[in-house]
Amino acid sequence: MLSITPLLAAAATFTLGALLGAAGAEAQTLKTVQDRGTLVCGVSQGLAGFSIKDDKGTWSGFDVDFCRALAAAIFNDPSKVQFVPLSASERFDALKNKQIDVLSRNSTWTMGRENDSSLVFTGVTYYDGQAFLVPKSRNLTSALELDGSKVCIQKGTTSEPNAADFFETNHINYELVEGDTVADVVANYLAGKCNTLSTDESQLFALRSQFPKPGDHMILPDVISKEPLSPVVRQDDMQWFNIVKWVNFALLNAEELGVGSKTIDDALKSQKPAVKRLVGAEGDFGKPLGLTNAWAANAIRAEGNYGEIFDRNVGAHSKLGIPRGLNELWDNGGIQYAPPIR
Amino acid sequence: MTVGVGLFLRAAVAGAIAAAAFVLPGVFASAQQIDMNVVDQPGYVPSPDEEQLSGVYEKQEVFFRSSEQPGTIMIDTSQRFLYLVQPNNRALRYGIGVGRDGFQWSGLQKITRKQEWPDWRPPPEMIERQPYLPRFMAGGPGNPMGARALYLGQTIYRIHGTNQPQTIGHAVSSGCFRLVDDDIIDLYGRVPVGTKVIIKQAVAL
Repeated sequence: MLSITPLLAAAATFTLGALLGAAGAEAQTLKTVQDRGTLVCGVSQGLAGFSIKDDKGTWSGFDVDFCRALAAAIFNDPSKVQFVPLSASERFDALKNKQIDVLSRNSTWTMGRENDSSLVFTGVTYYDGQAFLVPKSRNLTSALELDGSKVCIQKGTTSEPNAADFFETNHINYELVEGDTVADVVANYLAGKCNTLSTDESQLFALRSQFPKPGDHMILPDVISKEPLSPVVRQDDMQWFNIVKWVNFALLNAEELGVGSKTIDDALKSQKPAVKRLVGAEGDFGKPLGLTNAWAANAIRAEGNYGEIFDRNVGAHSKLGIPRGLNELWDNGGIQYAPPIR
Repeated sequence: MTVGVGLFLRAAVAGAIAAAAFVLPGVFASAQQIDMNVVDQPGYVPSPDEEQLSGVYEKQEVFFRSSEQPGTIMIDTSQRFLYLVQPNNRALRYGIGVGRDGFQWSGLQKITRKQEWPDWRPPPEMIERQPYLPRFMAGGPGNPMGARALYLGQTIYRIHGTNQPQTIGHAVSSGCFRLVDDDIIDLYGRVPVGTKVIIKQAVAL
């Protein structure tokens, strides 16, 4: 017993410190991360393309790579991340309780979640939204042609009212076929109990990749709801908020400027002012964040730019094969747009 | 004068890359960055199975926000896609093969001529690299120009078909843009002479 006492005392001190930190006007998340030597990143319990652990225990995915880029910006080492899988119901509490430094877990940015007053979303990394999957044999090109469809949707999700709104607005008759779980919904669809399946677009692509014949089904390009996914941090630390936010912006700006994992060394020699500022060859943009001026260059070298991260995890050259769509850069057909570094 | 398609090099390497591409998505991503070294195969007629693209390079309608008018063609060479802009934030997207490094170019052009089953006349630079190529080949199945050609401005470049469907998604041609024959026939039927064509390259550092 006696031997445990110091440990308990240490634990108590730690808890007290955490509480004091939370109560303070400016928490020191960056310092905590640097002292610890690793970033602690909250992710999903397993969602193909976004955050999933393989049988060797290695995490991969779009949300995972964002945390690796963040670690590279801080430590110049993308491996200094510890991933904490979290369920949907425990994810925000884990952040509030300081169990994690950042939540990078396919979470939709809504006003209600920020009104909570202790959390803040850092910027949209992925524009998701509800869409429709249909057999290719139906020869459809638009959700407006779904009149008379039987639509499989998971019971109790926001997908139900979203679809109802869309169909009503567009005077489309449909029959709802509910399933209790995602697995039920897929089974119903594949058994022909419905001829349309609706949920968020990213999930439709993930589900389709598991179908016996993925090529026989298509996802219509219409997106009928807004599900902007963003990392989340606590509201009590502006410096940390800015670091997470600007790592995302740096990855987007890198793609726009043609700077990627394969071109980063050429970029260091670039004469273009915007490129020089991004890679730290000009100006002083990393130090005010508490990082080095090579923060963005280190993140890009480690994980690639936004387009590379998208492509390998969820995009055209991944198993999911999700078109860039809304997530294409603003000057190339999409709406992804980052403020400039200057 | 007509610039045709691939460049003379090691077909075995190309075969290995293409084979890997169908097995591992991860390998595909890196293979895409590699120039595909492939010889022209005048006279070769691909099977219907070979002509059938799957996955990302299959023709599909996608979300596409643009300030360009519907009917405009936009070519994204780094992603190997050709977009035909549609109304309501849509585009028809086709998979393409594009020019190798050093043959890449960008800019604004108009379609100045349309040709069914174009003839093939490899230009002198291609003959120099591939001396065994025919000096002329009449249009038809097996012609490297494929089933249709859309002429770009006064340049020697074309958007055309191909008799080598496996090259879609790669950088192979001498600056032209190639589609599988079904796709070029489809596109040909949708765009008139005078269509605006915007060609985008990766940003220079």
